[in-house]
Amino acid sequence: MFKPFGYEPILTKDMLQKKKKQRDKASNMGATLKRIWHYVDEQRALLLIVLLMVVLSSGLQLLGPFLIGRLIDAHIIARELSGMATIIAVIAISYIVLSITLFLQNYWMIGIAQQTVYRMRTELFNQFQKLPISFFDRKQHGELMSRMTNDMDNVSSTLNSTFIQVFSSVLVLTGTVVVMLTMSPLLTLITMIIIPVMFIATRWITRRTGPLFKGQQQRLGTLNGMVEESISGQLIVKAYSQEERMIEDFTGKADELRHVGYWANVYSGGIPKVMNFLNNASFALVAGAGGILAVNGHLSVGTIVIFTEYARQFTRPLNDLANQFNNVLSAIAGAERVFEILDEEVEKEPHAKPLKERLAGHIKFDDVTFRYDVATEKPTLSNISFDIPAGKTAALVGATGAGKTTIMQLIARFYDVDDGELTIDGRAIETISRTDLRAQMAFVLQDPFLFEGTIRDNIRYGRLDASDAAIEQAAKQANAHQFIEKLEGGYDHVLTEDGGDISQGQKQLLSIARALVADPAILLLDEATSSIDTVTEMAIQEALDRLMKGRTSIVIAHRLNTVKNADFIFVLEHGKLLEGGPREELFASKGRYYDMVMQGK
Amino acid sequence: MKKILAYMGPYKWPAIIALAFMLVELAVELIQPLIIGKIVDEGIMKGDMTYVVTWGSIMMGLGLLAFAAGITNSFFSAHAAQSFAYDLRIALFKKVQSLSMPNFLKFPTSALITRLTNDVTQVQQVFFMSMRFMLRAPLVVIGSLILVFFVNVELALYLVAPVPFLLLFLWYMVKKGGQSFERVQRTIDRVNRVIQENLQATRLIKAYMRGLYESSRFVKIAQKLRDNTSRALQLMEIVQPILLVVMNAALLIIIWFGAEQIQARSMPVGDLVAVINYALRITGNFSMFSFIIVLFARAKASADRMEEVLAIEQATTATTLNPTKENDAEVTFERVNFSYVEGKEILKDIDFTLRPREQIAIMGATGSGKSTLLQLIPRLYDATAGQVTVEGVPIAQWPVAALREKIGFVPQRSLLFTGTIFDNIVWGKKDATLEEVEEACKKAQIHDAIMAFDDGYQTRVGQKGVNLSGGQKQRIAIARALIRKPAILLFDDSMSALDIQTEEKLWAALQKEQATMIVVTQKVHTAQATDRVFLMDDGKIVASGTHDELSKTSPLYAAIIESQQEASAHV
Repeated sequence: MFKPFGYEPILTKDMLQKKKKQRDKASNMGATLKRIWHYVDEQRALLLIVLLMVVLSSGLQLLGPFLIGRLIDAHIIARELSGMATIIAVIAISYIVLSITLFLQNYWMIGIAQQTVYRMRTELFNQFQKLPISFFDRKQHGELMSRMTNDMDNVSSTLNSTFIQVFSSVLVLTGTVVVMLTMSPLLTLITMIIIPVMFIATRWITRRTGPLFKGQQQRLGTLNGMVEESISGQLIVKAYSQEERMIEDFTGKADELRHVGYWANVYSGGIPKVMNFLNNASFALVAGAGGILAVNGHLSVGTIVIFTEYARQFTRPLNDLANQFNNVLSAIAGAERVFEILDEEVEKEPHAKPLKERLAGHIKFDDVTFRYDVATEKPTLSNISFDIPAGKTAALVGATGAGKTTIMQLIARFYDVDDGELTIDGRAIETISRTDLRAQMAFVLQDPFLFEGTIRDNIRYGRLDASDAAIEQAAKQANAHQFIEKLEGGYDHVLTEDGGDISQGQKQLLSIARALVADPAILLLDEATSSIDTVTEMAIQEALDRLMKGRTSIVIAHRLNTVKNADFIFVLEHGKLLEGGPREELFASKGRYYDMVMQGK
Repeated sequence: MKKILAYMGPYKWPAIIALAFMLVELAVELIQPLIIGKIVDEGIMKGDMTYVVTWGSIMMGLGLLAFAAGITNSFFSAHAAQSFAYDLRIALFKKVQSLSMPNFLKFPTSALITRLTNDVTQVQQVFFMSMRFMLRAPLVVIGSLILVFFVNVELALYLVAPVPFLLLFLWYMVKKGGQSFERVQRTIDRVNRVIQENLQATRLIKAYMRGLYESSRFVKIAQKLRDNTSRALQLMEIVQPILLVVMNAALLIIIWFGAEQIQARSMPVGDLVAVINYALRITGNFSMFSFIIVLFARAKASADRMEEVLAIEQATTATTLNPTKENDAEVTFERVNFSYVEGKEILKDIDFTLRPREQIAIMGATGSGKSTLLQLIPRLYDATAGQVTVEGVPIAQWPVAALREKIGFVPQRSLLFTGTIFDNIVWGKKDATLEEVEEACKKAQIHDAIMAFDDGYQTRVGQKGVNLSGGQKQRIAIARALIRKPAILLFDDSMSALDIQTEEKLWAALQKEQATMIVVTQKVHTAQATDRVFLMDDGKIVASGTHDELSKTSPLYAAIIESQQEASAHV
């Protein structure tokens, strides 16, 4: 097998055959282009002006040499200098106008291209916001990031230049063909013989480059994913001195990228070469056939001479077109990966109705079963039934992995139940729109996340219209005020990536402040105080108690003193509800909860 | 730029060969017009069919030669460009991996990601295109300029005169463009950052329904990227018109003076026509020139960014120390001070000695410096004053890898990587067998939970993995530490999500480990199980002693105990 520089051939017969079967997928390319076109949108008018500029500049590009030719014939050869200045002035003006039109068409085209890419990019981002959580469970962050940057980059660079070039090529081509037809239809036909050959060759190559370009973008995405993880997890990489292993992993992925990239380059490099060759062939054909015709007296020698010149002119734009084809293909490879995400099914709520009134917060699980992945046999929650009256506090306890967080995620409608019914205030949760539902909820999640930005903005995330005073108030209640004041800039202190410069416990305090600011009807606290020392926790307990008053609260905690004020306790094990009810009753019944409390002592 | 160019070095032969093939192509291309002229003049005009066929065949032959050269060029140039990019990527990645934590944190994650993918791609593309066709345009221009001198020196001078100014202009544009594209790449960093944040905080954003808010935040950055990119590219669009105007002006001057010379009969008409032809060819190649300049400016910006990373000097500690295999690690802190930022001490005057296999707990308020103290031991950060020793040797003298080999560190956030559970656990020990993995998992109290998954140890976790609960992640991270059988075990509040029963079983298992152990914890009953408890406040150890001692002597500790006992009192 031919292995240049040790690069194994990558395209299997299988791959190509499969491609053949999906012949209807060929229209895919057209569809993708159409979709990109859709994003050009309101700029089509400007695009028309650009096209006009292209027509103008193409004309001027021909006019210059034409006028120079006239100048040589009429003045220089004739040694007639009078009137030459006028023509030179005309030429000079035409060149200046040409430069201006070239500048303007490119200037505007860049604007159009970037605006188009901007639209695609923001739409992709909006799509991220609409996709269900389960989508993100399956995807690597860096891989998705790659679609936003590397793939969009392909589209961007193609739109910048290719559009104008394709159009001007088509223009020149049409013009040339018209002139050629008027001169000799027969020779034109002979020149055209190369078109099918060209078509076949281009197809042969693009059938290979298409998947290769796509593969390249995929590999780049995978690599990006790996880089993102290894850099985000650098602390662990270092602590375990696993740098070597990371490098090894990376090398493997970089090698795959190089491998696909190599073949993509090799195959795509073929197109211009094939064109060049056909270019020469067509000339030889015209010359040969023309010669025969001339000998037989069907054509004048002059026609043939001029015709050969046109034959060359004819193939040049074709050549350019073929070259642009590569760019278009790589843009399509990028765009397809973007559209792939745009085509993912977004979170839908067909039965949801808007929620006008404030929720009381009566939460009821009726025989609820749920699994994260439909394919797995074991449900994460099975046949859960419980009832939390409005305004009460319920604590979920149980071993890790029992399903406590899952219950919270169902209440927040991050996921929808598979079986059974979950109602809030007697309404099936599916009938409440997610926006309205969550607008009345506040969360403190297991892993407190903070955005790059000021402390103030991070707390304000709970309620965007919160006043500075309200923010400070919330921070005081969450016992975060003291440490915030000590930071440089206080509330305007800019947190670095994911709050890297404050401690985990402090992050939790901020996320509690964020929940306090939100003023919700339902409060979900998932291990809200696990990284906070118990003395501080006592200090904020009062604030939490106040926060929970009058709202339905669901609390997950391992420290029993955190759940001590709960009205209801539900004990979970392996996705099943073991026992549950009012706290005192549960304690008195001396079941699992009783055991836990006694053990805690 | 230079450092980056050096990575092309190993591929200079493939690159030179590729260029040679490109020259063959170029030569054929230049000869062709001559042959065409011959065919027309000698063959068609004179009706000599054999001449047409002969030279037509020669032209076809040359065409085939150019074709073969072009295709062969692909193989060589693709290899050189791809391998160059590959080497560069790996060099960057290695550098990133070798950075110390403080140096590492100088770059935001997103900035490193962009450099490793997008920036490399930019440079790679230019390298590839240079070998394929980009060098042709300058070659044609240079060749034409030289040939003009053979035709008519005076006219040639008019043509050459603007060249130095144009070169100066191009150099200026590359510099200017480089700055603009640098801004573009930096904006890409920020785009990356916002997306990364959004992906990390999906649940939070959904919980607070901040999708629209995030979108509006993103729109601002996307707009910035759009504007910066447009501005950079549009700036570069000045190149082509200016080149054209200048060269066309030169052309017109040539025609003017050429006409005069012809008038004076000091030059044949043919010469002028030839000079004009060359001038036209030069201007024809200028659109390619401006294209090259854009790519080059962009590549320069990317190359400079990569060099920023590659240029960081890494302080290496050369040591001859032979680490012991014993699990008898004594750990001391000798008057250690530490600050991330100068002037803001996080740790103050920390001084203690841990006997081998001693187990201590560190307690204290949030932000009191507990995590920082732990991170000094594996040398994730270096003490700003004083020193930390392990086995009596200052850790600055330890080979870093050997030191970390001795340590099992479980961070506050579990940080699992994409891959199977098995993969994540053997992180701790590359060559571990399944038995060892199972043993570690049993100790970490996670074995049963893993076996309950459909795929057992082959279950995928991490960013692309299943939904693990917080406690499950923590226990996998603990198993990852235990499998190393480390001499020093560091737990940074890494049992916070475990319920009491599980934690007790885990502790019982940990008692059997032959390791010096430091546990950062919030729970008194965890502290109770250790030999000594350190209480930290505001970067200082304010009290230390056994649980019993402290509960009598330290009011702070008493307060902590009280805070945790109240629960049971209420039940």
